[in-house]
Amino acid sequence: MKYALFLGCAIPIKYPGFEAATRLVCQRLGIELVDLPFSCCPPPTSMKLVHYDSWLALAARNLCLAEEAGLDVMTLCSGCVNTLKEANRTLKQSESKKRRVNKILEEHNHRFKGTIDVTHILDVLYQDTIVERLIKETVRDLPMRIGCHYGCHYFRPPGIMYPGELSDAESYVPVQMDHLLSIIGMEPMEYSRKFLCCGSPLGANADQDAGYAITQTKLQYMRDRDIEALSVICPSCFEQFDMGQIVLGRKTKEKYKIPTFFLTQLLGLAMGLSAKEVGVDVHRIKARKLLDGIGIG
Amino acid sequence: MTTIKLWKFFAREDLYECYQCARCTGSCPAMEVAPAFGPRETILKCLNVGHEKVVQDERIWLCCTCNVCEDRCPQKIPISDLLVALRNSAARRGNIPGRLVMAIELLAKTGRSMIVHQLDEMRAHHGLAPLPPAPVEEIRAILEKTGLREVVEF
Repeated sequence: MKYALFLGCAIPIKYPGFEAATRLVCQRLGIELVDLPFSCCPPPTSMKLVHYDSWLALAARNLCLAEEAGLDVMTLCSGCVNTLKEANRTLKQSESKKRRVNKILEEHNHRFKGTIDVTHILDVLYQDTIVERLIKETVRDLPMRIGCHYGCHYFRPPGIMYPGELSDAESYVPVQMDHLLSIIGMEPMEYSRKFLCCGSPLGANADQDAGYAITQTKLQYMRDRDIEALSVICPSCFEQFDMGQIVLGRKTKEKYKIPTFFLTQLLGLAMGLSAKEVGVDVHRIKARKLLDGIGIG
Repeated sequence: MTTIKLWKFFAREDLYECYQCARCTGSCPAMEVAPAFGPRETILKCLNVGHEKVVQDERIWLCCTCNVCEDRCPQKIPISDLLVALRNSAARRGNIPGRLVMAIELLAKTGRSMIVHQLDEMRAHHGLAPLPPAPVEEIRAILEKTGLREVVEF
């Protein structure tokens, strides 16, 4: 199993620990990763809102690199997967948009053909063969009450992110992360408004305090269920919860902090990697006490 | 001033599919914490006062882009397409938050949306090789051609 690894911007630059954990975990699970000279995706929360044609062209360039390597793309971020999946689908469906984009890209020796697919690491890990490997590679359980936060752009709008997977009357409700974490002995908790936004894009684009107000709401619902830790699959969501609890704590003096992890960090810990190897030592909300409590130093 | 053909992004007739049930607005996280229009009112305003007025209002930027509105819409109106189109149009008229201008400038100048600072050391701490530089020249050339300068100087 081989993918072009799309790191995005936030992970390699701000949270390289997630990258380290991901590379180690993928190696153990037999997922081969290839690095290509990708640029920013660019984000569905910034460039797409401001200049759609620029958004589509940069996304197309990234897709072309993977096509040229003959590889499907695996992203580590809900924003990246949203952009690349939608752009890929749009360009496969619209001849006129493809022609327009290719006219620009051909000057740089790229040509969008529509030969590859885009996926998120969560969906890669959720395949039967990988789950079997994960069960074999797991050397210790992580018994704690875990909350999952998927990140809106990972699964919405479902017509683009998961076409054909839902009836007209339903919303698409992701379960992949909850299932994977139960394999490593965690207790995935349901909590109110589990699919509420983390607040990050509102904070980044328009109103920081309003963004954190959403974060605060979501954290409170998790506290109501005595959730001990949070698992995310997007660096923007991570920052909103990790840094957000520091910022919110200055005002609220809240003592009940919820350490936040990137999914592959938790899988790495279950495979026997150390806290430092998976990079949890640099999180703002410290997980040491929690990890000590289950015998992981 | 350049404008965009808004109805190429979103079929105008779809506005009339909305029966103002407000399921979108009831699910909208931005509505809970900020004086946002919310999707229902945005659609109503497009019908009543016209999109030209809507895109002049700063409040159209109060949005999480979480797409829950589109997910919950019983009429299956592609609301996120409408919201993207309105903001593209607003940006061309200079109605764009300063934070977003900075974010787009950074992206256009560096090919990435994060500032790279003392990165090699930090990556080495996690046992990672340095991050190869982004293909800045190619990115800039592409963005010149797509017309990003209509909105942001870079």
